[in-house]
Amino acid sequence: MDIEWYLVLSALLFATGFLGVMIRRNPVVILLCLELMLSAGALALLAFSRMLGNQDAQVFVLIVLVVAACEVVVGLGLVVAMYRRRLPLDVDEVKELKG
Amino acid sequence: MSFDAPTIDYAGLSPVIALTVGLVVIVLAAVFDSVRRFGPALALLTYAVTAGCLIWQWNANLDLVSGSLRIDGLAVTLSLLAVIAAAVAVLLAIGDPSETQAGRSDWLALLTGSLLGMVILAQATSMLTFFVGLELLSIPLYALCGTNLRRRESLESGLKYLIVGSVGSATLLYGLAMIYGASGATGFQAISDGLQAGDGMLSDSLTLVGVGMVAVGLAFKVSIAPFHQWTPDVYQGAPTPVTAFMAVATKAAAFAVFIRFFLVALGPLADQWDVMLAALAALSIVVGNVGALAQTSLKRMLGYSGVAQAGYMLAGIVTATQAGVDALVFYLAAYVAMNVAAFAVVVIRERQNGFSDDISTLRGLGREKPLLAWPLTIAMLALAGLPPTAGFIGKLYLIEALVDDDWTWLAVMIAIGTMISLGYYLRVVATLWMSPAGQAEAGAEIDTASLPPQIAGAQADPFEDSRADRRWYLVAPALIATAAALFFGVIPQPLVDFAQHAGDALSVWIS
Repeated sequence: MDIEWYLVLSALLFATGFLGVMIRRNPVVILLCLELMLSAGALALLAFSRMLGNQDAQVFVLIVLVVAACEVVVGLGLVVAMYRRRLPLDVDEVKELKG
Repeated sequence: MSFDAPTIDYAGLSPVIALTVGLVVIVLAAVFDSVRRFGPALALLTYAVTAGCLIWQWNANLDLVSGSLRIDGLAVTLSLLAVIAAAVAVLLAIGDPSETQAGRSDWLALLTGSLLGMVILAQATSMLTFFVGLELLSIPLYALCGTNLRRRESLESGLKYLIVGSVGSATLLYGLAMIYGASGATGFQAISDGLQAGDGMLSDSLTLVGVGMVAVGLAFKVSIAPFHQWTPDVYQGAPTPVTAFMAVATKAAAFAVFIRFFLVALGPLADQWDVMLAALAALSIVVGNVGALAQTSLKRMLGYSGVAQAGYMLAGIVTATQAGVDALVFYLAAYVAMNVAAFAVVVIRERQNGFSDDISTLRGLGREKPLLAWPLTIAMLALAGLPPTAGFIGKLYLIEALVDDDWTWLAVMIAIGTMISLGYYLRVVATLWMSPAGQAEAGAEIDTASLPPQIAGAQADPFEDSRADRRWYLVAPALIATAAALFFGVIPQPLVDFAQHAGDALSVWIS
């Protein structure tokens, strides 16, 4: 298969993730969408690595997966802390801090 | 078959090793009750040893770990700035509600972890270490922002920073993937070679999309407009010692990799990205300075001012010359001094005023507590860029570098930004000195009413400290930073040498 298909898929993943972060309001779903965005980068790296025939990017992808997991752990930790404080789990309700 | 043991340059790696060992010791110390209260001392010792290793490696100029890290002037100088900022944060956090509630050792371990990320980031010369360093810097910071569990804003700022920061990281990663696809390499030098060797790769859309996305990702981290929206919120919501650390150290480390990635890896593309970065810098200067005008919270104001200052500093990269890098590093060093002085005073005032950072809490401070008012005054004047402070020399240096490289319009933008910025910096100074002391009481009452909602029963705040202005660990950073901001304004040469040491490291790649 051509590399274009992989790149199109990864661009779609990235766009879906970005759109999700922008329009969804539940922080847990937003964390999922962030994972999608990171996976899109990982997929692009793998496709290029395959195309170029060098393995540097494959090591990179393993590390990206670890980093993504760490990010979710901290994110879910904050969500749990907010839930315990009975704060609304809706980013639109995060009103104390206006942009 | 013979086995060649890998050569490990322990001397070059010593700053990273010292920090890692310190991190482990701080985490282990949490287990033992008897040692726990020495946490800050342990952290400061770790930072002192790290700073010692960095100074020991001052003249080093070599690749480490098969070219994924590089210790040179740029890495050493900017790591030193980050270490200084972390040490200040440890001092400012003593007795802070965030540190107590999160558990002192955990708080310090997170801070040290973030600092380790910064030191790695400042040395990164491959996409891998770039990304790992950036995430190691960011993830502990997300948690640190949320450590003041008692305050709703703290948790919310942590979540907000995490979401925005992760969008930035993901964008950066995608950009890195594009550049990898275009150049076929992950090392910075190899990327540069790959881009030059590839046929037409320099103007390839793949490359340009990648460069743009990396710039956006880094702009999120150093809060360049229009990717700055999180900055004022997170600065305000996060515990103030964390804000001080975030404002200063993150910028130092992120600018280190910004310089290295754009000037070394993307050096052949300088003609393509300089206009893009110049536009971002100009936008940042305008948005940051105009945004700061309307703020009543001191921390929010410093957040917007940080956006504007990031714009000034980005201008140093736009030139892609050694003079530009020198000016950027000089400005960063001055920025550390100015911000540390300002945030230390904010921390002290917050503890005396029920954790309100409203500008009105400063009323009459000049008459009542000149020892607090002077550092803040000088910090504000330095941030505004008035002589005889380091901020003035820094701006002068930047403008000179810009004009020399035919970026006069950007230099003019800096001058215009400075003029706008006087509007809000001088307002703080006026509140400090010109409001009659009688109004101080009235101001304080209004602040108590406008306090953020707290957990019921927290009427008598155990973390308030009316004697905060006499605690040496709070006052000393303010005074030393103020003295530095003044000293390097009058005698700039030592700091110029410091900055040029950073620029010299890149002399192979830039003119």
